[in-house]
Amino acid sequence: MILDPVFEALGAAALRIAQEVGGIVVMTAQVVRALVPPRIDRRELVKQLYKMGNRSVPIVVLTAFFAGGLMTLQTGPFVKKLGATALAGWGAGYAVLREIGPILIALMFSGRVGANNTAELATMTVTEQLDGLRALAIDPVRFLIVPRVIAMLVMLVALTVIGDLVALTGASVVGRAMLDIEWSTMFHSFADNLRPYDFLHGVYKSIAFGGAIAVSSCYFGVTVRGGAVGVGRAVNAAVVAAATSIMLLDFFLTYLTG
Amino acid sequence: MTAIRLHDVHKRFGADHVLAGVSLDVAPGHKLGLIGPAASGKSVLLKLVCGLDQPDRGEIEVLGQSVVGKRESELGELRQRIGMLFQNYALFDFLPVAGNVAFPLEQRGGLAADVIAQRVAARLRAVGLAGSEDKLTGELSGGMKKRVGIARATVADAEIVIYDEPTAGLDPVTTQKIYDLLAEDHARTGATVLAVSSDVVALAKFVDEIAFLYRGHIVYRGPAATIVDAPDPLVRQFVRGELDGPLAEARP
Repeated sequence: MILDPVFEALGAAALRIAQEVGGIVVMTAQVVRALVPPRIDRRELVKQLYKMGNRSVPIVVLTAFFAGGLMTLQTGPFVKKLGATALAGWGAGYAVLREIGPILIALMFSGRVGANNTAELATMTVTEQLDGLRALAIDPVRFLIVPRVIAMLVMLVALTVIGDLVALTGASVVGRAMLDIEWSTMFHSFADNLRPYDFLHGVYKSIAFGGAIAVSSCYFGVTVRGGAVGVGRAVNAAVVAAATSIMLLDFFLTYLTG
Repeated sequence: MTAIRLHDVHKRFGADHVLAGVSLDVAPGHKLGLIGPAASGKSVLLKLVCGLDQPDRGEIEVLGQSVVGKRESELGELRQRIGMLFQNYALFDFLPVAGNVAFPLEQRGGLAADVIAQRVAARLRAVGLAGSEDKLTGELSGGMKKRVGIARATVADAEIVIYDEPTAGLDPVTTQKIYDLLAEDHARTGATVLAVSSDVVALAKFVDEIAFLYRGHIVYRGPAATIVDAPDPLVRQFVRGELDGPLAEARP
């Protein structure tokens, strides 16, 4: 039949996706199992926390500031036209805390930290360093993967909180500088209209996004095949998987938790 | 008792039947060299012995324990009794030279930091790398990396030491130095050695016996000293590097 090749290609793609998803689920189970009892290499954990968190702060601050500013820039003219400047902060803050902040920061984090993590683990895999660890009776999941997963989870949440604050600042600065909205107006708009749950909603999401980025970046790193070309492919696959997971998780979390 | 015993070991990678019923015994304290054409499964066999990969069929016993069908967590104790030098060094690039050599001792626990430091310093002196403790592995030449790998494989005085191409890509003088080092180390520890090398002449000076792996089988095993004049024409041709002979005819 003329459509056979199409169905074959679709079937092969579905099988490949099922294998990857299965592999990611297995890795998640291995990470959870390695945490009981929690024997984590502290030096490795601290190193990863610093590398993944501290060094991401500048790029997150920059992104968050302009994302917050952009929200005011988009909504500001309308609220001014309608004489509802008291809602300018709410518009920007609601979007930032619940959606734009967690998503943008997660995507930045995935591009910077997740991709780097995949490349590092993939290089270690192709140069037999993981086999070297196993030959020395050291479990690579416990020694390499678990500290990275914890570091990514903790640091993405921390960066999201920092990013939220910076984004609200950005929204206020742009409101004042470009739309003549008073500082106090913006502050009251945030304080009166935003609920703690709006902030927590974003934090919940960042935990889920952090888990998705961490596990997918580690999975594609340790399952790499081939040399430099394989490393490139692994990084590409990890970034695509993380971005897709972030969008899917965001949709379902928003739908389920409001 | 044998230190290493393989019985009817099979391993396939897709359609490629790399090991097709390999049987091999290595007595404690014995040094066995393993040679064979490229891609004949020598490194695969070494990884199977260490439990880093599993055979499709067959039995592998190391120091009296089976490594077949074991989980990673069950192999930990055995692996602590084995030292392995990888073909591509497998040095940890997140650690400096001293950190790499100290790593097996630190992870094993039970030794004070100053004792570990002394043992690492002694090992690095023995391999001629004193003063390179703080260098990163990326700053080292191929020969230096090999020596760091040897220091790491032998620092814990393992009962079995596995060397995968310990001198590949090294010049003749460095090759001889490396083998002198391995011989000194063996004289000190009396460990069982399983070594793979393409440099048969240099390997023959170090090991007691040599086995020839060809098309998935051990087709010859004999004294290393007389390998050049081995009775098997396949082995003779391979060792002498002759173009004409049964090896060329037998190749697909």
